[in-house]
Amino acid sequence: MLSQPDIAALLITLRLAATTTAILLLLGTPLAWWLATTRSRARSAIEAVIALPLVLPPTVLGFYLLLAFSPDGPIGATTAALGLPSMAFSFWGLVLGSAIYSLPFVVQPLQNAFSGLGRMPLEVAATLGAGPLDRFISVVLPLSKMGYLTAAVLGFAHTLGEFGVVMMIGGNIPGETQVLSIAIYDHVEALEYSQAHWLAAGLLICSFVVLLMIYSANRKFHLMKTV
Amino acid sequence: MINAALQLDKPNFSLAADFNVPGCGVTAIFGPSGCGKTTLLRAIAGLEPHTKGSLAVNNELWLSSQECRAVQERRVGVVFQDSSLFPHLTVEENLLYGRKRLKKISEPIEIKQLISSLGIEALLQRYPAGLSGGEKQRVALGRALLAEPKLLLMDEPLSALDQSSREELMLLLETFLQLIDIPVFYVTHSSEEVARLADNLILMSDGSVLDHGPIQNVLGAVDGELSRSDTAFSVIAGQIANTQLTGLISVDCGQGIVLQVPDTAVASEIRYQPETGVRLRIRARDVSLCLEQPKRSSILNILPAVITELAAEPYKGSRVVKVDIAGKQLLSKISEYSVQQLQLHAGQAVFAQIKSAALIS
Repeated sequence: MLSQPDIAALLITLRLAATTTAILLLLGTPLAWWLATTRSRARSAIEAVIALPLVLPPTVLGFYLLLAFSPDGPIGATTAALGLPSMAFSFWGLVLGSAIYSLPFVVQPLQNAFSGLGRMPLEVAATLGAGPLDRFISVVLPLSKMGYLTAAVLGFAHTLGEFGVVMMIGGNIPGETQVLSIAIYDHVEALEYSQAHWLAAGLLICSFVVLLMIYSANRKFHLMKTV
Repeated sequence: MINAALQLDKPNFSLAADFNVPGCGVTAIFGPSGCGKTTLLRAIAGLEPHTKGSLAVNNELWLSSQECRAVQERRVGVVFQDSSLFPHLTVEENLLYGRKRLKKISEPIEIKQLISSLGIEALLQRYPAGLSGGEKQRVALGRALLAEPKLLLMDEPLSALDQSSREELMLLLETFLQLIDIPVFYVTHSSEEVARLADNLILMSDGSVLDHGPIQNVLGAVDGELSRSDTAFSVIAGQIANTQLTGLISVDCGQGIVLQVPDTAVASEIRYQPETGVRLRIRARDVSLCLEQPKRSSILNILPAVITELAAEPYKGSRVVKVDIAGKQLLSKISEYSVQQLQLHAGQAVFAQIKSAALIS
């Protein structure tokens, strides 16, 4: 069964994934909205930057973050100047790393959802007296429901599965920065295969159930639209 | 009054529209596809943010060099070409979307009455995806009106519909648009829709306004762009008179003028009651002129007329002539050869032969 450190790793992982997803949905919304509506030439460059974590080995991202967190790095120097503890080997360091690493998984579904709306519903809402925020809440959000669900699930699941970035910037402090993927790695290294199985199989089944839920919700949503 | 002087430059199109039309009744914006009608409508609604110039609607300034009122502050009702209903809301929620956002409800519109006159009572709990094209447009019209707009804009509302629902909605619009007391701008490229609905006309081509004013004036201008086109036509109002002739309806246009038109009702199953007000659309090319009264002609409508005006120049071999028939103005398009042969001139008494006239409402 699960040992005490394994349960701690599970809780940290869930907390990390939930925090990261929440932050990404909050910050990803205006970013995705800008990308979906702008005609600025900077758009392609920004899109490329956001997609970088898709192609880079996570260790590359982790390496640069580690440098940035060091006392001489831009983030390390800032936190030191503000009298805050260093981000390296801390939970909030992991949150920052995960947020960057999972950014495309949240921004892209939102951007697709927003682009798919077209300008018509927003223009209609404006002629009916709805201001910008009102239009977003009463028209954009409900019509982008599936986009938000996809973004949240992918962001959450992708953070669950993260390994390289955490390895580089979080270290492996049990109860603080040790997450599931690293706990599994440790068990395998120590030849504790049954422990590794509990965690690995658990993660596998959870991920499958979550993805199954999102795909069936997606199907229901499309059926509802065509009725 | 609605006074506009609007300019808008887009990458491969520019709009320059200056016009004044009365602040009530239906104003048709008429012109060929791609001439900028929809862009003009969008500029009036405030949906084209780079529009410059000025726009005043019944003494409210919507656009000037100093300010540009936001779309949501203008209170325009818009009915778009195809369905613009919110798919995530029921018909009822769609209808009330704009009304709920009114700061204060000034006129207590009878919501129930509006909904029943649009014939959409049975649809209230349904979602837009389950409605027909005609039903969607009726809901869209109701939604716009319930928001108590200062100006109603309709962008070819019939164009996405099939023939039978188009005719059905047209009949509804004819009565409906006369009842509401807000100005309506109606974009169309159909001369039939202009003739049936419009009180005023804005004639557009290539992004600019060629002519504007009361429909009789714009249609009746012998040198106007519309008169030169193949679709040149006149509109005459009258009322149904009793008729004894088979397959024909008599329309009394006043001053003793009675025109006989084919009874299309046989096909469309609409029965005209005597004394119903109607309009007739008469194409300029269906009106010919004779110096003497023709006898034993197959043409039923031959009326004495006086030439009031000839187009200054012939255009593509024909010339537009305006005649007066007991106070009614009618355009006739005849060949320049005939004008010369018959030596037609203003003030001359002639007979107008009307080959066909369409009863349009």
